[in-house]
Formats: sequence, structure tokens, C-alpha cells
Amino acid sequence: MTGYLGIDVGSVSTNIVFMNEDNHVLESIYLRTQGQPVKTLQLGLKKLAESLPASTVIKGVGTTGSARHLSAVMVGADVVKNEITAHAVAALQQVPGVQTVLEIGGQDSKIIILRKGVVADFAMNTVCAAGTGSFLDQQAGRLNIPIEEFGALALKARTPVRIAGRCAVFAESDMIHKQQMGFELPDILAGLCEALVRNYLNNVGKGKEILEPVVFQGGVAANIGMRKAFEKELGLKINIPRYYNVMGALGAALLAKEAAAKGNATRFKGFRVADMNFSTGSFECSGCPNMCEVIEISEEGTVIARWGDRCGRWSNALAREQVQIS
Amino acid sequence: MPAGVGIPRALLYYYYYPLWKEFFKTLGCEVIISDKTNKAILNDGLSHCVDEACLPVKLAFGHVLNLAAKKVDYIFIPRLVSVAKGEYICPKFLGFPDMVKHSLTGLPEIIDVTINMRLKHRELSKAYTQVGKLFTGNRVKIWQAYRRGEKALKRYNQLLLEGCLPEEAFAVMEGKQKQSKLNSHDLKIAVIGHPYNIYDPYISMNIIKRLNSMGARVVTADQLPEEVVRREAANLPKKLFWTLGQRMVGAGYSFVKDNNIDGIINIVAFACGPDSMTGELIARSSRKAGQTPFLNLTLDEHTGEAGVVTRIEAFLDMVRWKKSQQAAGLGSA
Repeated sequence: MTGYLGIDVGSVSTNIVFMNEDNHVLESIYLRTQGQPVKTLQLGLKKLAESLPASTVIKGVGTTGSARHLSAVMVGADVVKNEITAHAVAALQQVPGVQTVLEIGGQDSKIIILRKGVVADFAMNTVCAAGTGSFLDQQAGRLNIPIEEFGALALKARTPVRIAGRCAVFAESDMIHKQQMGFELPDILAGLCEALVRNYLNNVGKGKEILEPVVFQGGVAANIGMRKAFEKELGLKINIPRYYNVMGALGAALLAKEAAAKGNATRFKGFRVADMNFSTGSFECSGCPNMCEVIEISEEGTVIARWGDRCGRWSNALAREQVQIS
Repeated sequence: MPAGVGIPRALLYYYYYPLWKEFFKTLGCEVIISDKTNKAILNDGLSHCVDEACLPVKLAFGHVLNLAAKKVDYIFIPRLVSVAKGEYICPKFLGFPDMVKHSLTGLPEIIDVTINMRLKHRELSKAYTQVGKLFTGNRVKIWQAYRRGEKALKRYNQLLLEGCLPEEAFAVMEGKQKQSKLNSHDLKIAVIGHPYNIYDPYISMNIIKRLNSMGARVVTADQLPEEVVRREAANLPKKLFWTLGQRMVGAGYSFVKDNNIDGIINIVAFACGPDSMTGELIARSSRKAGQTPFLNLTLDEHTGEAGVVTRIEAFLDMVRWKKSQQAAGLGSA
């Protein structure tokens, strides 16, 4: 069997998919990053290797997410893509003709507007993480309900309360206030979903023309309360694709396939990556007053990548060494 | 020993430096510019400036401190009220000399002559005469210095019109060879924003070089002739009285109509009042006029590079995707 790997290492989750030549997802893995991107990715690869037949040949690897460069040097990726493009590519494949992608992940949220099969506009949340998965997680924790039950509970609401969604801090104090006044939990949860949807549409979705088909993806799409709140606010049908929580990884796999179609052999180092020793470290360069924090990635004690320097003094030095070696 | 006049590499440095330099040099002064923006300069500015100011003003504080550390005799920070008839420069520029004088101590002498051309253009030469008197009693010499400054500015603006960016134009004026444009770029991207945001590589996260390395040639509002900018800005129902905002909107309108421009990136400094409006005006016109891809980037001192890079990468992907689709569409039609 041959296929492609898509890896999406984000702030909250690390997702890996294995996709076959027919663009079918045969394996998908969703793990919490928990601040340890290197270890989590290795764990994910290990799990994936166990579930795939030993004869599997990986023809291409794509990485995306905020740790896309880190994961790319670790595994030897063929394509490194930003999250917007990866999510758009995956949404187009899952829901042909999609015109709007709403994506809410752990710490960021984005909207992608597509027209005639290409991205026409996009926006990402800027300074504020209100309305992202982390906030929902935190509130579920505070209310002592498992995040998985959050959505179903919100659906039981009869009269959702109005909660200030402009800011996560205000939303929290508003929720506490409503609790103290005696509102029921489902009404508060539904109110919170509505507040987050309003916040999303007013910030990220500001000025965007939202047309059907609308796809809602990212980890938060698992929350049925959020889906209902979007449907209520927009008056449109909201599609949740089957692989909603690994769409970035799927997009990366699709892009890796596209790259492989050009006839390039993959740079993938193999599943042995899961057992290699990777270490990361950083130091402050004292070459100029910028004092850049330079990050070094080592594989088995050898530095394989550096970044973070504005002038390129360290990253380029390494690139030169590598050219000399090869 | 000639008097050392320090000029901060901030605010309207990117508009007027050639004039200021030539003027002071002709008067026999030594002209010293502050170092290129770095972390230390920015941090110095942030810790000495009032919190309510915008990022560019805070940064300018850092540059003033950098000059003070160089032991210059004077620091030139003119009070720019207006540089065109019936228009204004942002009020934060107007108050900048006062903010500096009242929040910083131990500074060299500040030259904070008022430049206000709102009513009469003649006010400009008067202002320079006033500055010149600090260094010489010879009015003819001052007049000569001013004329030479104006000539230098004219040459500089001409270089911008020919497609140079400020740093290149400064280099050419220093006698360096004009670099020929590389043809390895497949996209032409317009970058709109205040000169002190987009041309400062530290503040803009090196956006111009970054775009270049990703295969995009960059054009900016300052490379458009004044008439074009004003003609386009006149499409607004009411005249914008901010000179800088007018340039941005006028340029934005012109880029939206230009079929050679593949995309527009608007760079906004967080906490800039006028920017919040001009950005929206340009975004609306790009949407209305038939979708020139448009990206809004907000910068402040907390901005991480990752967010900016992700957005730029995604934007260029989008522009290329659209372009290839259009090319395919034309081919099959």
C-alpha cells in the first residue's frame, strides 16, 4: 500500500493522517500537544506505524500548523504549508464547491472565503483568543462538565441567556454572574455558545460575505452547541465534514500528494523518527542589540535546524555547512 | 568642530531625510542618524513613552534616546503640523517634541521648529530660516542650504517614482549604483502603510525583503506621483484632511484599478486612529472593484513573527492560486 502523510502540529492538538492514492483517509490520529510538540509528534507517528501494515510505503509528507517548520525538519517533509491553505485544500476536497470555511481550533480561529474553487479572502483572529477551543475547555473545567458533553447540554437550553462575548475575561465574569442569579446550566452554556459565535462573526468574520455551502471545522466543530449557534445566527445550513478535527493534516497530505505527482522522491526519514533522540534548545545571540532568541533543533546530538535569528547569521551558517557536507 | 545634528530614523525620516541632511550639511553641521531600529531601541522607547501613544511614536522615543547616547549637540524633531495646504499631519506628530521634552531628561538641545503649511506654503522657508539662524547669521547661506535641501528632496522623490524604495534611493544618492531589478518575481504586490511602518525592517518584520524572497516584487504608495494619489483620493465623498491617510487611500484606489497589481497588503499600526479608517476604505474598494486580493496586517510591539509569516504565506498562496485559475480559464476559453 502506498500513501501520504499529513501532519498538523498546533498549539492544542497534534493531528496526523494517512491518506491513500484515492484521497481516502485510512488512519487519523488526534492527540493533545500539551506543550510538547516533539514528543507528541513522535508518539503519534509510533501509533500510526503500529496501525499501518509494515509494507506501507510513504510517498510524500506534508506539514502544517504553528509547529510546521519544527515537524518538517524532524520527519523530513516534502511540503510545508500554512494552515489557511491546508484547511482550504481539505475543505474543497471534502465538500466540493464550498464557499465558506469556519475553522475554530485550540487557540486560533479563521474564516476562509472561497469562490469558484479558490481562496478569495481569509482572516485569522488577531490579538484575542476569545471564542477558541481553549476558552471553551477552560469554562467546561470551571463548570465541572466534561468538554465532550458541553454541546449536548447546551442543546437542552430553553432560553439561552445573553452573555457578553466581546472578551473572554468579561464573558467569564458574566457567566458567573448569571449562575449566581440562578439561571440553569444548559441556558448558560447555550448562551456562551451564542456569545462565542457572535464574537467570531464580529471579529474574524467582520465584513466577509458568508455564502453556502458553509463548512465548520477544527476541534470546536465537535461541539454541537456551537454548530447550532452558528446555524441560528447565520440562518444557513452548517456542514461538518467527517474529518473535521484533522482537516489541516488532511490538507497537508493532499498537498504532499500534489508535490509527489511532480515526480520528486520523498524526503521522509521513515517511522524510525519516532524513536530518534530530538532535542531543542535556544540561546540569545549577542551579535547585535536585537538579541534574537535562536532555536536549535538537534537530531541524535547533531544540529539539524536553527531559526529565530533576524539576520540569518545562524540559520544560514547551518545551511552552508549542510551544503558543504552533501 | 562642527555642530552635530542628530536626526531620528523614525516618523517622517523616510519622507524628508534627504532635505534635512543636505540642509544641515550645507550649514556646516555634521549630520548623525540614529541606528537602525533594534530590540534595544524599541524597548527604550516603550519604557519612556506614555502608554497611550501609538507604536511609531513610542519607537521614535527610542531613536531620540539613541541619539542622546551618541552625544550629539542637537536633536532635530520639527513640530510637523501641516505639510500641505488645508491638510494636517497626525496630532501625535504635532505633540511629539513636547512629549519628548517633558518625558525625557538630560537631552541635548532640541530643535523643534514648527512646520505649518496649512495656510501658506511660504511658511516652510520661514521655518528653515529660523533653524538656520542657530548655526549662522548669514541669511544667504541659509537660503542656499534650504535650496540645496529642496533639490535633494526632489531627486529623492524622482528616484521613488522610478521604482526605488527609500533605502535604495538613499544609497543611490550616496553615489552607489542603482541595482537592477531581478526578474525572478512572478507577483507584484502593493504594500500600503505609513512610511515609518513599512520601511522600517524591524517594525514591519522585514516585510518587503520577505515578500521579495517569496517571489513578489513590492510597490508602495510613495512610488506613485502626487497627482495620481490626489486624483484618486478625490473620489471620496469628503476630503481626507490627513496628508498621510490621503496618500494611502489614493494609492489604494489606484492599485485596485491597476491590473498589474496582483494583491494589496495594508499595514496598520495598532492604536493608529486614522489607519483604522483608511484600511477599511481600501478594503471596501478592493472588494467592490472586482476583488484585488487584500490583506490587512496589524502590527504592534507584541506582534509575533509567526502570525505575520503565516498570513503572508497564505496570502501569496491565495494570489497565485487565483492567478493560475485565471490563466487556465483563459487558456480553455
